[in-house]
Amino acid sequence: MASWFYRGLRRGIVTTRYPKAIDAWARQLPSPPAFHSARLTIALADRLVDACAAGALSRADRTLILDLGKCTACGRCIELSNGAAQPSGESLLASPDRSGLVKTVPIRGGQTGDE
Amino acid sequence: MSDTAGTPDGELADISAQLRRQALSVFGRSLHIRTVDTGSCAVCESEIRLLAAPHYDLHRLGFFFTPAPRHADLLMVTGPAIRAADNLLLKTYAATPDPKAVIAVGACALGGVYPEDALTHGTVDRVVPVDVSIPGCPPSPLALLQGLLIAVGRLTERVSALSLDLDAAGRP
Amino acid sequence: MIHAIAALIIAAAAAWLAAALVGLGAVRRSGLRASAALALAGGACAATGGALLAIHGAGTTLRLGAGPVGGATFHIAPLAAPFILLIGLVAAANALYAPRYHEPGRGTCAYLLVYHLALVASLAVLVAGDAVAFLVAWESMALMCYLVILRHHQREGVARAGFLFIALSEIGFVLIVLAFAILATQTGSLDLVTIAARSHRVGATWRAAAYLLALCGFGFKAGLVPFHIWLPAAHPVAPADGSAFLSGLVIKLGVYGIALFGFTLLPGGPAWWGLITMGLGAISAVLGILYALMERDLKRFLAYSSIENVGIIITALGAGMAFTAYHQPAIGAFLLIVALYHSVNHGVYKTLLFLEAGVIEHATGTRDLDRLGGLIRRLPRTAVIFLIGTVAIAALPPLNGFVSEWMLFQGLFQGFRISSHVAGILIVIAGALIALTGGLAINAFARAFGIPFLGMPRSGPAARATEHHQPIAGPAVLASACVFLAIGAPLVLTALDRVARATAGIDIHSELLVPQLTVIPAHTDFAGFSPTYLAAFMLAVTAIPILIYLAGRPRAASRRPPVWDGGILSFKARMQYTATTHANPVRVTFEPLYRPHVDLERASDDPAGRSGPVHYRFQVTPIFERYLYQPVVWLVRRAAEFARPIQSGDVNLYLLYVFIVVLIAYAVYA
Repeated sequence: MASWFYRGLRRGIVTTRYPKAIDAWARQLPSPPAFHSARLTIALADRLVDACAAGALSRADRTLILDLGKCTACGRCIELSNGAAQPSGESLLASPDRSGLVKTVPIRGGQTGDE
Repeated sequence: MSDTAGTPDGELADISAQLRRQALSVFGRSLHIRTVDTGSCAVCESEIRLLAAPHYDLHRLGFFFTPAPRHADLLMVTGPAIRAADNLLLKTYAATPDPKAVIAVGACALGGVYPEDALTHGTVDRVVPVDVSIPGCPPSPLALLQGLLIAVGRLTERVSALSLDLDAAGRP
Repeated sequence: MIHAIAALIIAAAAAWLAAALVGLGAVRRSGLRASAALALAGGACAATGGALLAIHGAGTTLRLGAGPVGGATFHIAPLAAPFILLIGLVAAANALYAPRYHEPGRGTCAYLLVYHLALVASLAVLVAGDAVAFLVAWESMALMCYLVILRHHQREGVARAGFLFIALSEIGFVLIVLAFAILATQTGSLDLVTIAARSHRVGATWRAAAYLLALCGFGFKAGLVPFHIWLPAAHPVAPADGSAFLSGLVIKLGVYGIALFGFTLLPGGPAWWGLITMGLGAISAVLGILYALMERDLKRFLAYSSIENVGIIITALGAGMAFTAYHQPAIGAFLLIVALYHSVNHGVYKTLLFLEAGVIEHATGTRDLDRLGGLIRRLPRTAVIFLIGTVAIAALPPLNGFVSEWMLFQGLFQGFRISSHVAGILIVIAGALIALTGGLAINAFARAFGIPFLGMPRSGPAARATEHHQPIAGPAVLASACVFLAIGAPLVLTALDRVARATAGIDIHSELLVPQLTVIPAHTDFAGFSPTYLAAFMLAVTAIPILIYLAGRPRAASRRPPVWDGGILSFKARMQYTATTHANPVRVTFEPLYRPHVDLERASDDPAGRSGPVHYRFQVTPIFERYLYQPVVWLVRRAAEFARPIQSGDVNLYLLYVFIVVLIAYAVYA
């Protein structure tokens, strides 16, 4: 028999075990950003809002609002954030409640320096 | 669902949403899905198509794809609901018998990338009521599976508990 | 009893003569209505007379005047009974139809005159008692039918159609005259009863010659292939009730003639007569329906369908003769009954279909199936009646077409009882051909009903059709006759059995019908079914699910969304099947038969979608016209040109002819 057959039997995964367990590589999939609120400043937040290609980021006063529904995980905000944002690793985001997909992050940085 | 939860109208909406979900839980063991493309780039369709492949295997969960909306229990809508597809989406929605659910799949369907303008509605829920939203561009098949299982009540959603505010190394 | 029947028939003829004269006053609508009322009365008399004659089962003879030319003999025979019934039904239906179909005017006056005279002439053919009366009546009938066809003589194609009809009718007439001449000289009498009694004196070759001449001669009128080419030309151009009369009755007179020669005047013929007749019939049936499927004109389609059904009737007649010759007289008599029953059935439903085709033509202005559509909403009652006619002619249960074709098949399938293997095989092949026509007929009539009535209108006039002021009563009477002939088949068959007993001398009543209303094909060990119980069963089977639904349906409000169409913006009429495309599988399968001439033109050579209109033209090669009639016509022309010098116009040459003839006469007789 073909070698791939035995190799598959030994090493192949026929099907994912989801929903019993989430596959390990799911955390490496492209995902929306998570923010270090202490490193966010108003100016940085505005730059990130401009950079967002999908229109998911917006700022209201001292709150950065990310609509997870609109985010395409393109990673532009992470690149431009200077370490203030990193991939969250969360790609399983389904919800029956649309408003629950809108997340807020307080902007705690910039007490000193740029306002 | 909506921010009128708690008011008398909101309670009615909550009850009806609950009833819809209970009705849908009937389909937890066998669900027929019909996909509707309202102008997407077809990558969401590729991911949806992958659901029937051996690795993700939709059929082991009792879910099936059907081309006929008359046989469908659930519509998976992709794309930013362009106005030219109004007729199509509304006709498909009307042709699907009750009880039914609509899942909006992908960032386009949830309002991202394309704003509302002369050519598109922007979000699917401006055309038909949406029950479950699956974010992603495209959502991976695991995310799609999660959305489907949430729709039929076999999983509970986790995203509302998610916080994107990082604290030192964890998330509060 | 027989005198009552004779009185009814005479009354019918008198009523129709009166209708003809009153019809001359049809410049006003009251004249038209009066003429129709008289025709209706005549039709009722004839139908009653025919039915009573069949039930009575014996004939009589009436003489008027004396001698072969100074008077006429009329013989009312049971064999003519189904045809007299049919002429009554057709006349009655046409009478109910005429007032709303025809417009009062001078053309209509002339038309009514010749049409009612044609009715009288047809009745005279059926009751003619001697050869001269028969031939005179036959020729008058043909002449009147020719004038009926020429009703709208100024329109295109009518003159040619009339000419084809009369030319072929005359050729047939010559053959019939020859047949009668042979019989008259060989038996020494012109009286039909006497000929029948003395037919055993005629030698075998003369008998064969007479029968073959009669088969071909009457075949011209009946529409057997290859004598049929007048039918598809004449039916579309005649008025609807004229076409109905032609197809419903006149071609049955051809059948009557063949039955007269085969069963009454020359009974007990050898088997090959029956096999040839059966073969001609089977081929006519298949070719008729195959050509029918290629037609876009509704009336041409119905004309070809008539050819198909006449083929079926002649197959039954021929097979009956064959079975009788092979010592199976019960099956032979059974097949004669089938032939007569199918004649009546076909007369009824073909008349109905032609009348409804007339209604469609008046309502929409076109006969072209590809321009019609959606008429079931615009002409609902017409649609229901047309559907009954379609179900009947496609031989679908429980209607009369199904009963008669079932009987025909059961008769043919008993070919194994014949000792001769060759004949048995030929009979089975005929059965197979009839089965093929049955299948094709269902296809053809699904197309004939579905394309004009269902779907969306394919043209403006079809979308605007209205049933206002269209005739309904006549076709409705025929539709109920179809249903009665089916459910009451046991009664009808009992009467036809008496006819067969009188004609063929066999009584198969006990093998035909048992008290449980069952039809049995002459031998109880073969098959049997009951049309009456079948109809009741079908009614119950359709009613029970409906009752269950009504009793148990959910009480909750239901939602009725529109038909799922794939999400397109709207249906367009051009998205539908057309009559041409519906018949495409048959066209492709039988292409070697049709030998089509196909033209495909595009307006330009641009790629598809930008090339402008594409014209597709498909023409069936008219095989019989091209390979049979045109060579014969060419031969006749050549012979005439060759003989032309005889008529040079030179008086001296003519005097020479006279002189030569006088010399010869002198030499021979002196």
